Amino acid sequence: MSLNQTLTDALNRGMSQIGQLRILQNPLRLHHLDDSDLEALEIHTDPDDAREISLYSDDGNYRFTKGELSLKRGWLFQLENIEDLQRTIDLFYPASLGLWQAHQSGTIRIQNLREKLNRQSGMYRHARNVSDQGTQELVQSLCGPSNKCVKKILWSIDKHLPLEDSEASRFNGIVGEADESTAIPMVCQEACNFFVAEARKKSKAEFEDKPA
Amino acid sequence: MREALYMIEAEEIYVVPDFISEGYFTQEVIPRELELTGPTTRIHGKTIHYCDPVGVHPSMTSLILKRTDEVAPGVPQEESTLFIVGHGTGLNKNSTKAIKDQVSHIKTLPNCRFAEVFDTYMEEPPFIADWAKMATTPNVIVVPFFIADGLHSYQDIPIMLGFEKEEGQAASQKEVFRNNPYALHNKTLYYSAAIGTEAMMADVILDQISSFDANHSAPS
Repeated sequence: MSLNQTLTDALNRGMSQIGQLRILQNPLRLHHLDDSDLEALEIHTDPDDAREISLYSDDGNYRFTKGELSLKRGWLFQLENIEDLQRTIDLFYPASLGLWQAHQSGTIRIQNLREKLNRQSGMYRHARNVSDQGTQELVQSLCGPSNKCVKKILWSIDKHLPLEDSEASRFNGIVGEADESTAIPMVCQEACNFFVAEARKKSKAEFEDKPA
Repeated sequence: MREALYMIEAEEIYVVPDFISEGYFTQEVIPRELELTGPTTRIHGKTIHYCDPVGVHPSMTSLILKRTDEVAPGVPQEESTLFIVGHGTGLNKNSTKAIKDQVSHIKTLPNCRFAEVFDTYMEEPPFIADWAKMATTPNVIVVPFFIADGLHSYQDIPIMLGFEKEEGQAASQKEVFRNNPYALHNKTLYYSAAIGTEAMMADVILDQISSFDANHSAPS
């Protein structure tokens, strides 16, 4: 099934949210979950504007991870068709619809953390040396809505070591109080490059803390 | 990068590295992350063609020359020296090769009237910091051979050229690129934005795809 059809079916079933995006129909519109006064919002009709809007948070920080709970407010997209809606969503949350579709159909390719870290090279090759406890601490300090990202983690540390219970490991990929009947969950099939960079730092810190 | 396949519904994909030259990222990191096994890879129901990076395509020459016209409109080429600036690194000779190839190509163009064209670098000779000794013309045009503007083109190269001070704040794009020309060492210097910011880069990307098809077409 095409992504357009998947999105259309989702909307027909009453889904109206993904990440911090609220989707309205008839006519098709998209705005920030926390904005309610549509009259006060800046109108956008070009999906490509989403790239610029999602670059920085309201306090000027660069949003390295697009799943960060820091999307700017104050905008309203008025869209012509489902293709434009898909494009806009993909610019705010790259590949989020395709990953959800693959997750639903059981075809998503999950990469456990150790596989991701073990294939790093160059200056990031030492990330693989981070301890198991270190990886758990990283998940709890980087992932989940209180930290950097609002995606549901699908991966484990490795095939024998699941994530320790935490807000991050329990998070369902849906912002706020909605559930899967009205919101498309965002899913994470492998740790991102931000995580890899932090794993490298932690690995270095662990090495420096080791007794001589 | 592995997420990208989930948002693409086309069966056939061309990957064009937006990099200035071949190197560690184009030869190791990108193929690893996209699980490529050669020029064409069939994986996860897709056919992926891996093209050369944009920086090595001959059509980059047009971008460089367009930049010189934009940054120094009406300035006679016969009275100008063109400097193309790269990073320069001992780690990979491919990056300097891309710039040397551009210089060689520009010099052979029948309509090239620059008095001199030099390849220069931030971290290896010939150093861009020595531009005033190398240029014998009254006008100098400097084009950073980088994919994007950043610390090198905003701060490092302006310091090496001499119109920004080391202890100053990092220059914003507005200040660095809109204060042309600069009067330095009895010459007039024009400093352009990084070559990768040129809108025609879109054409170079398409050119690399055409080159891929031309080089990998099945024999008839």
